[in-house]
Amino acid sequence: MMDGRDFMKGNEALAIGALKAGLNAYFAYPITPSSEVPETLAREFKSPEYPEFRMFLQAASELEAISMVIGAASTGAKVMTATSGPGFSLKQEGMSYAAAMELPFLVADVNRAGPGLGNLGPEQSDYLQATRGGGHGGYRNIVLAPNSVQEMAAFPGLGFSLAFKYRNPVVILADAFLGQLKEDIVFPKIAPERFPTPWAASGARGAERHVLASLHLDFEDQSRHAEHLARKYEEVESAEQRSDSYMASDADVVLVAYGVVARLCRRAVKELRERRVRAGLFRPVTLSPFPSNDLKALVDKGVKKFVVVELNAGQMILDVRLALEGRGQIESVHKMGGLLPAASDVVRRVEALSK
Amino acid sequence: MSRSATPLQKSLVDVDSEFCKGCSLCVVSCPQRNLKLSESFNRLGFHPAEFHYHGEKGDCTACGICYWVCPDFAIAEVRRVRR
Amino acid sequence: MTVVQGAPAAEYEVKLGRLSTLTGRPTHYCAGCEHGILTRLVANAIEELGLRERTVLVDSVGCSVFAHDYINTDAVQAPHGRAPAVMSGIKRVRPDLMVFAVQGDGDAVSIGLLELLYAANRAEPITIFLVNNAIYGMTGGQMAPTTPEGMVTTTTPQGRDVAETGRPLDATKLLAGLDGPSYVKRVVLPIAPMGSTDLYSARGPLEGAKSVLNAFKVQMRGGFSFVEFVSTCSINWKMSVLESKRFATETLAKLFPPGLYKDKLGVEKG
Repeated sequence: MMDGRDFMKGNEALAIGALKAGLNAYFAYPITPSSEVPETLAREFKSPEYPEFRMFLQAASELEAISMVIGAASTGAKVMTATSGPGFSLKQEGMSYAAAMELPFLVADVNRAGPGLGNLGPEQSDYLQATRGGGHGGYRNIVLAPNSVQEMAAFPGLGFSLAFKYRNPVVILADAFLGQLKEDIVFPKIAPERFPTPWAASGARGAERHVLASLHLDFEDQSRHAEHLARKYEEVESAEQRSDSYMASDADVVLVAYGVVARLCRRAVKELRERRVRAGLFRPVTLSPFPSNDLKALVDKGVKKFVVVELNAGQMILDVRLALEGRGQIESVHKMGGLLPAASDVVRRVEALSK
Repeated sequence: MSRSATPLQKSLVDVDSEFCKGCSLCVVSCPQRNLKLSESFNRLGFHPAEFHYHGEKGDCTACGICYWVCPDFAIAEVRRVRR
Repeated sequence: MTVVQGAPAAEYEVKLGRLSTLTGRPTHYCAGCEHGILTRLVANAIEELGLRERTVLVDSVGCSVFAHDYINTDAVQAPHGRAPAVMSGIKRVRPDLMVFAVQGDGDAVSIGLLELLYAANRAEPITIFLVNNAIYGMTGGQMAPTTPEGMVTTTTPQGRDVAETGRPLDATKLLAGLDGPSYVKRVVLPIAPMGSTDLYSARGPLEGAKSVLNAFKVQMRGGFSFVEFVSTCSINWKMSVLESKRFATETLAKLFPPGLYKDKLGVEKG
């Protein structure tokens, strides 16, 4: 558009945002409600506007797609794929290997309802799968939770920064609502970041060669590797917690919500304030690491009640409980099956709690 | 036996006996029978292959068969005398 | 190292020698295993073509999972069966690299058949060597997709019943039936007993050396190359090393006949 603004779906913004962040390759497998990501990228493939976008390829399966991501990421390229629940489950094999081999790349999970095929509506039921590392073995993903089309566009850039800084897969955990939502956005005019990749398997240089492997048969060796990963996750935990809050510092009750639900809760907070309930909102931007420090700080400021609003039967609430370590009262409001709670439901619930 | 006293062999096979697992592939495929398994053991407990220039059927011709059939890189080098 | 029998080293030229594309580490393979033979054939070909610094080896899961311990190039370890997809990913962003894998029959023909077929069908310029020893070696001798009828394995203790489990799958024929691959060949790699003599023929390894070289040449010319090596697993077949050579070259070779199944670029003609 003339004024530098664009109007597009979250999925399209994610795709274009990745291109603007210097995406080199995308390996696709279609699944609703994420398919606009590969469709947008297929359209832009070979566009002179994105000379760094060297490869778009549709794979024969989710497993093949994530394995192609592993291969391309091994060379140090900026690689991404996107999927939704059923596909994300299949990708867990690759996620586990990639965590072990410390490969940086982006996977977007546009969360639909589940388990099983579920339906195509929004849910946040992949929270535990994404934040705990849904594959085998002990590992962590870095998980970012956008809550607008603008953030869908911006988070690929942030995601690549974190992925390459820590050599770790980054998950962008969106949902069907955000993927399909159309909004006005502005793409920031920034040059794609370049990351050194001295570890990449892209040809030996004399005696120096690069082996990316996940098998450490020697117990001492595997133990060292596991400790190294654990230290890395601790480092991420202490340096990369991100959150947003709205009218939370003087609040009696704070809503805790991420993604699209956080927007709905923002409206609920406004309504509650009009009704003279001192409500606030705390929005985790990184789900892993969970922004425990900022949440804890609210208790220190005197917040006593927390209402966790999420599109699952209570997953993030576990992290809230862990973060608050028994302090404060924690309540859950949830909705599932592709439905969103109405802001008025949240208001009613908080009012009841405030009495 | 002093080195100068030994007549020069036309070719030879250098066995890294510590790599050998005694599988005998070189022994049975050597056309001149220049290799046999040693009666002694290597560090791994295998009877390693041993090279004899004068084989049961003739002298080593540096044909290289032992080199290509060896699964353990134990046939390290096949050499031929310079002309 | 044995003492060179009285001969000064300077008098000799090395006809066949140590390869810098090998790390110099001893292998974990069992005595007499074709994996070891293939390792040297591969290293030799990489060196002959001067490709060491442009090569990425993709380890598969199975006995070849430690291939990078022996082959001195860059390497990436793939999940079980996914090597062809990982290779495709590498090659798609770095077409200048030479990418190859050694896969076993369980890895390539069972859990990774989709990845193999699709990489072949897309004509990815990559090279896959299939070591088909008709059994799961690394996991201790279970039935493989290529296990012949009647063969006793730990999961077919009465012998493979093809009425229950289907007939052995022929990956070479499957791939040769696709349009994508440029080079599809099957080599019976073990040394073979020769008639009534006690001498064994090295035709397998020598043919193997040529095939590996040709497969890499095909990749350098932009084609997908695949060589199946009918091999042995004496430990899990519960045979002596030499009995296993006889079984592979006389029985398995009938089920999986050697030959040049496809050579679109004519590399075998030179």
